[in-house]
Amino acid sequence: MSSFVTEVLASSGKLEKDDLACKISKLSRKVEETKEEVTDMINKKYIEFIPSMEGAEELLDQVESVSKDIDLLKSCIENEVQQNLHDAVTEYAKLKQQLEKNTTIIKLLQHLQEFDTAVEEYHRALHEKNYVVAAKQHGTARASVDALKAWKDTELPLVRALSSEITIQRENLIHHLGQEWQKLADWKLPSNKTELTCAKSFLKTSLHLNRGGSKVDESIPHALLPSILQALSIQGELHKKIKLFGQVLLKYMLKPLIIYPSLMVEVSSQPEQGAVLTLQCTETKAEHPDPSQVYTKVLTVLKTLHEHLFDVSIDQKKVSEILGDLIWEEMSECIIHECLVHSIPTNSSQLAEYSEVIKQTEDFESSLKEMGYLTGDSADLLKYARNVNCHFASKKCQDVIVAARKLMTSEMHNTVKITPEYKLSIPKLPSPSGGEKERKESGKKSGHYDQRSLENEKQLSPSTLCLPVCRISESVQQLMDLAIQTLSEAVGSSPQCAVQLFYTVRNIFHLFYDVVPTYHKDNFLKLPHLAAIQHNNCMFIAHHLLTLGFQFKPHLPLKDGVAYFVDLVPGFRRLGARCFVAQMNVQKAEMLERLSTARNFSNLDDEDNYSVASKAIRQVIHQLRRLGKVWQDVLPVNIYCKAIGTLLNTAISELINKIMMLEDISNVDGERLRTLCQTIIEEGPLVFNPLPDENKNKKYQEEVPVYVKKWMTLKEISMVLNANLQEIVDRWAEGKGPLAVEFSCNEMKSLIRALFKNTERRAAALAKIVK
Amino acid sequence: MNEDILTTLKILIIGESGVGKSSLLLRFTDDTFDPEIGATIGVDFKVKTLAVDGNRAKLAIWDTAGQERFRTLTPSYYRGAQGVILVYDVTRRETFAKLDNWLNELDTYCTRNDLVKMLVGNKIDKEDRELERDEGLKFARKHSMLFIEASAKTRDGVQCAFEELVEKILQTPGLWESVHKTRGVALSELSQTGQGGCGAYCSLL
Repeated sequence: MSSFVTEVLASSGKLEKDDLACKISKLSRKVEETKEEVTDMINKKYIEFIPSMEGAEELLDQVESVSKDIDLLKSCIENEVQQNLHDAVTEYAKLKQQLEKNTTIIKLLQHLQEFDTAVEEYHRALHEKNYVVAAKQHGTARASVDALKAWKDTELPLVRALSSEITIQRENLIHHLGQEWQKLADWKLPSNKTELTCAKSFLKTSLHLNRGGSKVDESIPHALLPSILQALSIQGELHKKIKLFGQVLLKYMLKPLIIYPSLMVEVSSQPEQGAVLTLQCTETKAEHPDPSQVYTKVLTVLKTLHEHLFDVSIDQKKVSEILGDLIWEEMSECIIHECLVHSIPTNSSQLAEYSEVIKQTEDFESSLKEMGYLTGDSADLLKYARNVNCHFASKKCQDVIVAARKLMTSEMHNTVKITPEYKLSIPKLPSPSGGEKERKESGKKSGHYDQRSLENEKQLSPSTLCLPVCRISESVQQLMDLAIQTLSEAVGSSPQCAVQLFYTVRNIFHLFYDVVPTYHKDNFLKLPHLAAIQHNNCMFIAHHLLTLGFQFKPHLPLKDGVAYFVDLVPGFRRLGARCFVAQMNVQKAEMLERLSTARNFSNLDDEDNYSVASKAIRQVIHQLRRLGKVWQDVLPVNIYCKAIGTLLNTAISELINKIMMLEDISNVDGERLRTLCQTIIEEGPLVFNPLPDENKNKKYQEEVPVYVKKWMTLKEISMVLNANLQEIVDRWAEGKGPLAVEFSCNEMKSLIRALFKNTERRAAALAKIVK
Repeated sequence: MNEDILTTLKILIIGESGVGKSSLLLRFTDDTFDPEIGATIGVDFKVKTLAVDGNRAKLAIWDTAGQERFRTLTPSYYRGAQGVILVYDVTRRETFAKLDNWLNELDTYCTRNDLVKMLVGNKIDKEDRELERDEGLKFARKHSMLFIEASAKTRDGVQCAFEELVEKILQTPGLWESVHKTRGVALSELSQTGQGGCGAYCSLL
């Protein structure tokens, strides 16, 4: 064993020795190489140094000599060559100037020559009526003059003369052209003095279209026209002439034709004289022109013009196009405003028939395109006609709002009675397709149960939640009908139209809310009758708005949640209540004012005081009686009673307060006060007359204690004024009697003190006033 | 004023319209009968002194309107009531059927839950009776009420009704004694010879 270990150890040592030997041999090789390199370097640096330095010095000498040569050359050039160059340049400049001058003069002469030829040609062409050539030549002459003018250096009197000559020639040419033009299209117009307001005043208009040919020369009848037009265009006058022509055409011929349905156009054509367009008047009852008629008339005019005048191309553009560009916008607007607007149907049923009109418009526009009056993309009329749905909706909405406003500002006095049986006249609406299926399904389900056994035996009265019997303005009923009509229209319309109509109906009610209280404001304060009617109006509207939206919702193509009017309901209720309360306040103020004249009901033993107090009470009752009559049959019974009751209560409270404030009530005072109280107790109930049938009102008169809170108090006071101490104490009954309900201990005591002299009996009685 | 008046008691008369409340009161206070008496508007009030077992009590009697339309007025009169006479007409079953409603109303508006209730079946003088005595008695027992049948026309049972009611009230401790009068010691002043079961007891505070 130990030998194995020693062997391992020995071998490992051996390996180490081998390794080391390898490494050392490598290292010695490297050292040798390095030794060589170092030797090399030393050699270069120190042994070969001198020869390289000598080489560098030689190069340096060479460079110096070369630079000396360069300097020499440079100075040579500067001195001599440049001088020569300078001289040469000056000379050449002189020569050049000379050359230029010559060229200009040649040009000038050339221009003059051109001018001369052009003018000669011009004269000749004008004479021959060859307008195109004339115009061209004139153009050339002009160009020459302009060129001359451009040479600004000298102002030759020659140039001035030439330019004036050219101007004269131009005017001449234009004059000639104008005359020719006049012959081609001869207008006869109604005099400026007459007012151009009705159809008849346009009857004098006539347009004579002359082809411009003469009997003799058959070969160039048509050629003259294009030449004239071309000449005009070359001169730049064409546009102006056509614009003028177009304006006259529009004002005296096209517009009247469009606006007045009774005007017709007649074309009479004579073989050599051309065509004559005149306006004739025919009998027609139509207030607004019919689109097809208008289109026919306008087309007649434009076709004739096209045939005789404008079927000419100038510079690749048709003359008719120029005219078209100028008059199209105005004409189409006129057609839209005077004709198409009125042709828009008022009912959605007529919308379907409108496609005819659309087709007619299409044909009209295509004919115009054929003739060149219209360019490719303008199609205003057609666009308008295609948007008929939009226009219909807007028109309808506007009409509805106008009608609504008219109703709202009309008299409100005419009333209509509303009973619980009253139903809004909603037209039969088609049942939506979805609903059918649902109903069938639910029908199947409920078939399992016995319907009857689930129904409640006691049913609500059919008039539950109905509006009570009352009167509303006729105009409000009509307004409601208008709203329903509009919604029914919406049902049959396109979605966009339906949305517009729906919001118009909402606007009607917004309008009512804003307009009516302001418009009739004074009347509502002055006239209690009207205030009551307005109250009813608002409640009526609110009542129906609760359900109006839902009745129409399944049939309207509206987003969910928008098809209702319920959000308007609280506003209307408030409106009605506010209006009525304002009137109540007016009445209350009047009442209190009358009572204030009663001198606090004190010292009624004085005759004068008593008569004044008595009068005040009578006046109050009279006021209530009048009010009761005015509101009779108008307000619903419960509101009537409540209102009159409240007002009576005000008067009674005031009287009671005044009595309680009295510190000393003598016998006579007491008697008279009691009389006043009894007056109210006896006559007060009689003002309650809510129903027109007198016999039926007794029931409500009996219920006065219910409507007038202080009624029992008044009765008790009346009793006290007439009672002795014992009776009062009995009625107080140690706090268990009616006096104890109506008065507090202190009030009772103070009343007793006012009524009775300060005696022992009184003191004893006062002691019993406890609760 | 008389010194031997023990106390004032508040009594209500309630019931359907036309059962005879006002007639009962008139008979009790004035000992008369008016066949043409009209429906009470709102409320009527009368005072009468009554002697029961040697005690004199003053009765403040409220005769309320039975008609539906005056129902809003009556609740304010219920406050502090110590005795209630609930009247029905023996010849009209519907007046009996409505008794539950009246009891309900009482519960709602009365301020004392120990008040004494008496059921009175009126108009026993009439021929066409629809309700027998047993029925009334049964109802009264069920709701812990006193019971009597009467006729305001013939005077039958009217005085008795009021007397019994007052007696019962006076026997109920705490119902009529006011706080001011007796503080500390609450001894019933009545003898033990009362009809019926609930006697007074001594309570020493």
